[in-house]
Amino acid sequence: MKSILNLLPLFVFLGLAGCGRQSEGGSATSEAKSYTIAVIPKGTTHEFWKSIHAGAVKAEQELNGKGIKTEIIWKGPLKEDDRDQQIQVVENFMSRRVSGLVLAPLDSQALVAPVENAIKAKVPVVIIDSDLKSDQYVSFVATDNYKGGQLAGERLGQLLGGKGNVILLRYAVGSASTEARESGFLDTLKTKFPSVKLISSDQYAGPTRETGYQASQNLLNRFGDQVNGIFCPCEPPTIAMAKALRDIGKAGGKVKMVGFDSGSQSVADLKNGDVQGLVVQNPILMGYLGVLTMVKNLQGGKVENRIDTGVVLATPENMEQPEIKELLYPPIAKYLKE
Amino acid sequence: MSPPARFKSGDVARFLNSIGPVFGLMLVVGLFSLSAEVRTHFFTGTNCKVILLQTVIVSIGALGMTLIIVSGGIDLSVGSAVALASVVGATALVNGHSAATAIALTVGVGAGIGLVNGLVIAGLRMMPFIVTLGMMGVARGTAKWLAGNKTVNAPKSSINNLMDMLDPLHFFPLPLGVWIAAVLAVIMAVVMQRTIFGRYLFAIGSNEATARLCGIRVGLMKIATYALAGAFFGVSGLMQMSRLAVGDPTVAIGLELDIIAAVVIGGASLNGGTGSISGSIIGALIMAVLKSGSQQMNWPNYVQEIIIGIVIILAVALDKFRQRKTAL
Repeated sequence: MKSILNLLPLFVFLGLAGCGRQSEGGSATSEAKSYTIAVIPKGTTHEFWKSIHAGAVKAEQELNGKGIKTEIIWKGPLKEDDRDQQIQVVENFMSRRVSGLVLAPLDSQALVAPVENAIKAKVPVVIIDSDLKSDQYVSFVATDNYKGGQLAGERLGQLLGGKGNVILLRYAVGSASTEARESGFLDTLKTKFPSVKLISSDQYAGPTRETGYQASQNLLNRFGDQVNGIFCPCEPPTIAMAKALRDIGKAGGKVKMVGFDSGSQSVADLKNGDVQGLVVQNPILMGYLGVLTMVKNLQGGKVENRIDTGVVLATPENMEQPEIKELLYPPIAKYLKE
Repeated sequence: MSPPARFKSGDVARFLNSIGPVFGLMLVVGLFSLSAEVRTHFFTGTNCKVILLQTVIVSIGALGMTLIIVSGGIDLSVGSAVALASVVGATALVNGHSAATAIALTVGVGAGIGLVNGLVIAGLRMMPFIVTLGMMGVARGTAKWLAGNKTVNAPKSSINNLMDMLDPLHFFPLPLGVWIAAVLAVIMAVVMQRTIFGRYLFAIGSNEATARLCGIRVGLMKIATYALAGAFFGVSGLMQMSRLAVGDPTVAIGLELDIIAAVVIGGASLNGGTGSISGSIIGALIMAVLKSGSQQMNWPNYVQEIIIGIVIILAVALDKFRQRKTAL
């Protein structure tokens, strides 16, 4: 008797689980052409993702201004950078029947099944920022990272006058976007500046400023008196390396340094001369075009399979030009009230 | 709650105890059906299926955790064990082993970690909290080491079908993983209530010294409990690998806390001696429904985190209140 009583809730639940089989299907029909678009970043706290959010809101405002009713839902994984949590977010939006998903996948393989399920359930998906190993999505809207690496290579080669010793501090194993930047950088040095010598390119900064700082210190301890130029492929190592250079008195141009992304600390370093070049992406444009591309697709328009949101090189010389300034100081506050 | 002394009142209290979590689940479901807009999406076959699918990993883990908590222990190494198991499984597939071998290895790794936990806890008479806290680091580190600090991209295999949604537009067919979780839950509910092993667990959890004096081999029981629970964590790891299609050494950080919360919401006491499989499963469902519902309501993540935190505290507070009443 007791055990049956204890099993009872299970049966009650199994009864509950049968819920709602009657109300399927019909909910997908459109009501007067209004779009609900979910935008899913990899995390929600970094500046980069806030810019993407701002771009999505910009698109929402413009579309509504044109009379196309659009609502953006901004939702990241509950735990930052957790693949399973991001899958859950995608699944829940699928069952909520949003009009479309704009997703920055945390993993090019792990997110394939949930994305293809969503597409099967007639929720189209636009991929932004990082690629997904699938051919079913609408479009891939992102920076050309290889080109970004090439820009960095050219800048550093010119700064060094085509000769000297160079360090590449890599970001993390298995991160596709930064690996593309690293290979763009290395290829450019090899083809255009053959007499530049690479003295270290096998160290990884790791995900945080702290891990990057330790890696930078270790590198400078060993190569500090030989190195002439350094490249870091994203925000945390850029900030960490500039700090480590300052510590040993080699900042301010004694060692030339080129970084990536426009974190507010990196921009300050560019301004005070500790960093001689920053390759900057356009995350606002990425969020903006991600949403616009989705809406165009929903309206039945034809969209490009790959949309490049552009990279540019910011230097101390051009950083006051308005179009560069907008990338270095993204107008997030204009779109996000916080 | 000490073991029921009288037949009738014991049965009633037990019944109230087990019906409590169901009531909680209905309350949560009811809460989200208040909004007409959410209601249309919430009670669909797709959403029910998604919620069940998202509960599989936590529920299978909760089966193992219920055993441990009922026996008066705790296991903080679950998230790490799940990650290590998923990495081992994926690595086996990469090295060309069959899916069956990978499954055996994944479950075996979980059981192995549990066995070590149990041996240390029973052998050295150490606090489970400390031992499993240490194991949390050991297993997580081993997973990262084995995976070379990156995700292990496993080739496609039949393991991927376990958590495949199959038809995303209809409730049936349910993913295989959901059926496995349900069958395991029923088996464990019977084991807990009807077998000597199960009853010994309650005895040890209620009063370890008395249990020992009654002739129960407490040490052996603990080793068996942690190893069996570990096997369930291995199954969770298998499901995790199936879901991600990769072995990820950084996955499931903090999963043990979700699982402990599910078991506690389901009416178990961290002092040991109480708890039920059905309660734990429903606890896991309550959390999944909350997560899904919060997202459908467009609540930001922080609201969701705060709500789940409050629910855990409320559930335990209610449980205390109920126990005080039944104790009178």
